[in-house]
Amino acid sequence: MAQQANIGELLSMLDSPVLSVRDDVTAVFKENLNSDRGPMLVNTLVDYYLETNSQPVLHILTTLQEPHDKHLLDKMNEYVGKAASRLSTLALLGHVVRLQPSWKHKLSQAPLLPSLLKCLKVDTDVVVLTTGVLVLITMLPMIPQSGKQHLHDFFDIFGRLSAWCLKKPGHVTEIYLVHLHTSVYALFHRLYGMYPCNFVSFLRSHYSMKENLETFEEVVKPMMEHVRIHPELVTGSKDHELDPRRWKRLETHDVVVECAKISLDPAEASYEDGYSVSHQISDRFPHRSFDATTSPYVDTQNSYGSATSTPCSSSRLMLLNTPGQLPQNLSSTSTRPLTEPPQATLWSPSMVCGMTTPPTSPGNVPPDLSHPYSKVFGTTGGKGTPLGTPATSPPPAPLCPSDDYIHISLTQSTTAPPKKEEKTETSRPCLLRQPHLPNDRGLEELSGKGSVTLSDLPGFLGDLANEEDSIEKDKEEAAISKELSEITTADTEPLVPRGGFDSPFYRDSLLGCQRKTHSATSNAQGSSVNPEPLNSSVDKVGPDTPKQAFTPIDLPCGGTDESPASNREHQTSLETSIFTPSPQRGVRFGSGQLPPYDHLFEVTLPKTAHHFVSKKTEELLKRVNAEEDYMPSTSPVEVLDRLIQQGADAHSKELNKLSLPSKSVDWTHFGGSPPSDEIRTLRNQLLLLHNQLLYERFKRQQHALRNRRLLRKVIKAAALEEHNAAMKDQLKLQEKDIQIWKVSLQKEQARYSQLQEQRDTVVTQLHSQIKQLQHDREEFYNQSQELQTKLEDCRNMIAELRIELKKANSKVCHTELLLSQVSQKLSNSESVQQQMEFLNRQLLVLGEVNELYLEQLQNKHSDTTMEVEMMKTAYRKELEKNRSHVLQQNQRLDTSQKRILELESHLAKKDHLLLEQKKYLEDVKTQARRQLEAAESRYEAQKRITQVFELEILDLYGRLEKDGLLKKLEEEKTEAAEAAEERIDCCSDGCSDSVIGHNEEASGHNGETKPPRPGSTRGSGGSRGGGGSSSSSELSTPEKPPSQRAGPFSSRWETTAGEPSTSIPATVGSLPSSKSFLGMKARELFRNKSESQCDEDGMTISSLSETLKTELGKDSGVEAKTPLNPDGLHPCPPNPDSVGQLRIMDYNETHHEHS
Amino acid sequence: MTEDSQRNFRSVYYEKVGFRGVEEKKSLEILLKDDRLDIEKLCTFSQRFPLPSMYRALVWKVLLGILPPHHESHAQVMTYRKEQYSDVLHALKVVRFISETTPQVEIYLRMYQLESGKLPRSPSFPLESEDEIFLAIAKSMEEMVEDSVDCYWIIRCFVNQLKNKHQDALPQLPKAFEHYLNLEDSRLLSHLKTCSAVSKLPYDLWFKRCFAGCLPESSLQRIWDKVVSGSCKILVFVAVEILLTFKIKVMALNSAEKITKFLENFAFPV
Repeated sequence: MAQQANIGELLSMLDSPVLSVRDDVTAVFKENLNSDRGPMLVNTLVDYYLETNSQPVLHILTTLQEPHDKHLLDKMNEYVGKAASRLSTLALLGHVVRLQPSWKHKLSQAPLLPSLLKCLKVDTDVVVLTTGVLVLITMLPMIPQSGKQHLHDFFDIFGRLSAWCLKKPGHVTEIYLVHLHTSVYALFHRLYGMYPCNFVSFLRSHYSMKENLETFEEVVKPMMEHVRIHPELVTGSKDHELDPRRWKRLETHDVVVECAKISLDPAEASYEDGYSVSHQISDRFPHRSFDATTSPYVDTQNSYGSATSTPCSSSRLMLLNTPGQLPQNLSSTSTRPLTEPPQATLWSPSMVCGMTTPPTSPGNVPPDLSHPYSKVFGTTGGKGTPLGTPATSPPPAPLCPSDDYIHISLTQSTTAPPKKEEKTETSRPCLLRQPHLPNDRGLEELSGKGSVTLSDLPGFLGDLANEEDSIEKDKEEAAISKELSEITTADTEPLVPRGGFDSPFYRDSLLGCQRKTHSATSNAQGSSVNPEPLNSSVDKVGPDTPKQAFTPIDLPCGGTDESPASNREHQTSLETSIFTPSPQRGVRFGSGQLPPYDHLFEVTLPKTAHHFVSKKTEELLKRVNAEEDYMPSTSPVEVLDRLIQQGADAHSKELNKLSLPSKSVDWTHFGGSPPSDEIRTLRNQLLLLHNQLLYERFKRQQHALRNRRLLRKVIKAAALEEHNAAMKDQLKLQEKDIQIWKVSLQKEQARYSQLQEQRDTVVTQLHSQIKQLQHDREEFYNQSQELQTKLEDCRNMIAELRIELKKANSKVCHTELLLSQVSQKLSNSESVQQQMEFLNRQLLVLGEVNELYLEQLQNKHSDTTMEVEMMKTAYRKELEKNRSHVLQQNQRLDTSQKRILELESHLAKKDHLLLEQKKYLEDVKTQARRQLEAAESRYEAQKRITQVFELEILDLYGRLEKDGLLKKLEEEKTEAAEAAEERIDCCSDGCSDSVIGHNEEASGHNGETKPPRPGSTRGSGGSRGGGGSSSSSELSTPEKPPSQRAGPFSSRWETTAGEPSTSIPATVGSLPSSKSFLGMKARELFRNKSESQCDEDGMTISSLSETLKTELGKDSGVEAKTPLNPDGLHPCPPNPDSVGQLRIMDYNETHHEHS
Repeated sequence: MTEDSQRNFRSVYYEKVGFRGVEEKKSLEILLKDDRLDIEKLCTFSQRFPLPSMYRALVWKVLLGILPPHHESHAQVMTYRKEQYSDVLHALKVVRFISETTPQVEIYLRMYQLESGKLPRSPSFPLESEDEIFLAIAKSMEEMVEDSVDCYWIIRCFVNQLKNKHQDALPQLPKAFEHYLNLEDSRLLSHLKTCSAVSKLPYDLWFKRCFAGCLPESSLQRIWDKVVSGSCKILVFVAVEILLTFKIKVMALNSAEKITKFLENFAFPV
């Protein structure tokens, strides 16, 4: 409940005068609708709307989105059922349907449709019926396939209502019936347009009945007069009409236009497909058109011939064709009216003059309507693609400024037409901008219309004051549109004949015509709808403004004089823009009615054409000037008057045009006194009118949609044509080229053939020459061969001759040789003969000499020969002898030489041997020497030993002497000396060895157990000692040392033994030979030495021996005594002592001696 | 060829690596195989390589002239030598210069004295410096050579060689020693000089006795190899080396007496 209250509050706030609050609340509602899917809000909204007719709520409801449509339809269905709310519900439905919501296809299934139909069948209120019928008509193109189910309902409704129109049941006022009639008429159109077969059959069946005949006569027949035969009647069938496939391809607006096509009613009909409408040519129109051709606008075009782009800018289609420059102009001009109203005033007169005071004058509306598109095309980069259409994208803001501007411009326009005229001539920029200003305004109006009309509708509905005016206006519009259509048809007619030409312009012209017509229709349709927004906007501004708002409506009526002209202007400009970029064409069209062959002037007589054109333009200028003169004379008041008058005319005409019943009603209405419930009636009337208007607007929208599409097609087509033209041009050029090439080819071929011929002739000539030459050549060849054979013969002959010559030569040579030989022989023989002769002579001489000698020989006897013989033989023999001798000698020499050689080799060998021997000898020598050295060293050692021994001996002697037996010893010494002398004598005989031998022998004899070695050594030592004694002074002591060495006993024994040895010296001497090898050797070795030594020392020895004798004698004496000692054996012990003593003494002695 | 094949096939390798003397024995045997031994070659060999001990005596004998170069006469000459030895020994015994108790070294000395005619009148006579040297050498030699005859002969000839052959060279050795020491280590020499020990170094021990009693026999015999083969300069180098070896100790000593004493006595631990 709280929410309900809340919504209620919000709803109340929706109608607040503050715009922002309203917007906010609207936004809140929309939000709620988006979030909430329940039917409650929609229901409340519908309730509220039906209570208050609140515009914002209507707006919200009309823009409901998908999920809520069902609720809305249900709710509406509910209310349709109630008689009280039926009308408003239907109005609401109409509003909703006209906006063509996205869910419109659901309408056919919705329960609302049957209820609506039922209501239409049942209801008796004319207002409701009218409204309902209009809604139905609006809906029908949207749900064409649904007709299948409800077709008979539709037809029933039509039948009922058509009957109503005539029968006027009950209390229905005439006025209402007019509206009903129109709506029925519309329904008729729609049904006939959509389902012709079914409808016709229905009509046939329905009106074949007697009771309906009157209705048919009165109501339906006039309607049928305004329709053509539907092509479907011929080609289609009942079933085919209802086939959904048929409708699938068609959009809503397509359906609407399809319906419009079959209409012959100028208000309704479409000329799209070239269908010409009935021509109701008023007296004015030809004039108008003529005026149009001579309008300053055209003049300017002509004057600015080359500047085709400038006129183009003024034309609707030209905008599409030459978009490049225009967008800038458009933008600059479009902004100006909004931002600078004061400046815009400067432009308003031009608008008036250019018959382009759009919003107010129906005549000027069409350009306004169409301009927006063109402008859009221009602004969208001039690509010719109608992307954003102004109708669908309504800018909300600029409503007020536009209104202001309208008023200003209108007021100004009334005053300023002349000024404009001047400007059109003087300033091109003005012209450029002029057409755009209306465009802008149209756009603004269109944009404003979407929002404003809906919002202000209730207020508008409430305003009864405007009602009549609007009707008037409506009628005016119709009239104007008619005019326009007439103009266009009038224009097209003269153009059609031109179609006979093949030139690419032809199509363009045709297209242009079509476009013109199209534009005219669009103008017509637009005019029917356009005023409404204007009014609404005006209403919104304030209650006082309507007057002002209406004046402009009238104003154009005054300007209608020019408005067609302006249209015409546009068309012409359009044409020029399409056809001619050159001034000549502009002229051609400026002249308008020029014969179709005029373009030939261009080709054939360019100069004259130009001249003509210039002349024409001058004329036109003059005319314009005249008009100019005329125009300023009309004061604003006059213009106003004229406007009113014309408005009245148009109104009356419209009235006339209406069907009789309505007219009568009208008449009664206007003529009769107003009824008591005038206000209610008026209100209802207003409502009806409004409904009708809304319906018309819907149609207009559909047309607009279609226009847009067609426009796009046109643009495409134009582009293609352009392209085609260009291609054709190219083709032509290429054809020309081809022609040229062909010509040149032919030329070339001719030349080629000529050349070929020449060549052929030359070739033949050459061939003949060749043949001749070949013939010649063959002849020459033959000749040459003959000659050659001859030559060969000659050569052979020459060769033969040569051979012969050679032979002859050889012969000659031979003969010469022979000759020379012969001559030589001859000479020889001659010389021989001479010699012979000489010899003969000599012979003779010699013979004589011989004889002489013989005589001499005989005379002398000589035996010398014998002697010589003998000598010779002797000599020879001797020689031979010598020779043999020499031979012998030689042989000997040889042998001797050989011998010498042999000997020499022997010698060498010997030498070698000798050397070897020498070496060997050396070797042996060294060996021997070493041995000898060793032996020598041994000897040295022995010598030393003996020396030592001697020293010892001497020492011992010294001791002995000092033993006190000096005397005895001395005696014995002498004896010993004697013995020594003797022994020395022996020794001197070389028996030193014998002593040893004797000793040994003696030892051997004695059998003493003495080691042989010492003995031998002793012997050798003795021998040596003997040898050495010669060097030493004591030679007589060789015997002694051994005895001494042997000790006292042995020494003594030896002494005893020595005595016998001394006694037998001879034996001693004989023994050594059989002694040891060493001994022998030593003897051999030292013999000479000892001898020599002996000889040398002989004297000294003798002297020494003398001295020793005494000592020896002593020794012997001692020895003699010593034998006693062995008995005692006692002297031994003292010996060492004595020896020691002696030694000491000896030492001293020796020392003395040494020292 | 056969000799080559007999040689160790690794010899070439050894020589390359630097092991000299692996084949010494072989080569020496080859040398000794020659009849008529080449004294020169033996000399160079013994100078170059240490002699193998089994051939040392033989080589020495040959080098010292105890044995002749001819193998034939070896036996005979050796008998001579032996006889000579025995004769001399006998003579000494006879003259009662030696007895059974007499040490072998002294016997050698007496024998040498006898042979050189320098036998004193009595064994009790004090020994001379020469005799001392001989004794030292003999003592060392006794250790090296087993056979007494050989030993005697070698000693005898060795000493004789020293006396005769190197008579002129030996006095020069101290100077040479100084020279080489200077080359090797001048500081040491200068130290010695400052201590005035140069002149007091044991030259006798080194050069006259040829380190006998100073070095152990095993090393001594290798030195003597060189000496026997005729080079007495080896002594100088040995001396220098000894000094260098004991350089630190020698440097530590300041007085000439101490140095001399040390150098005379160090030998025993070595």
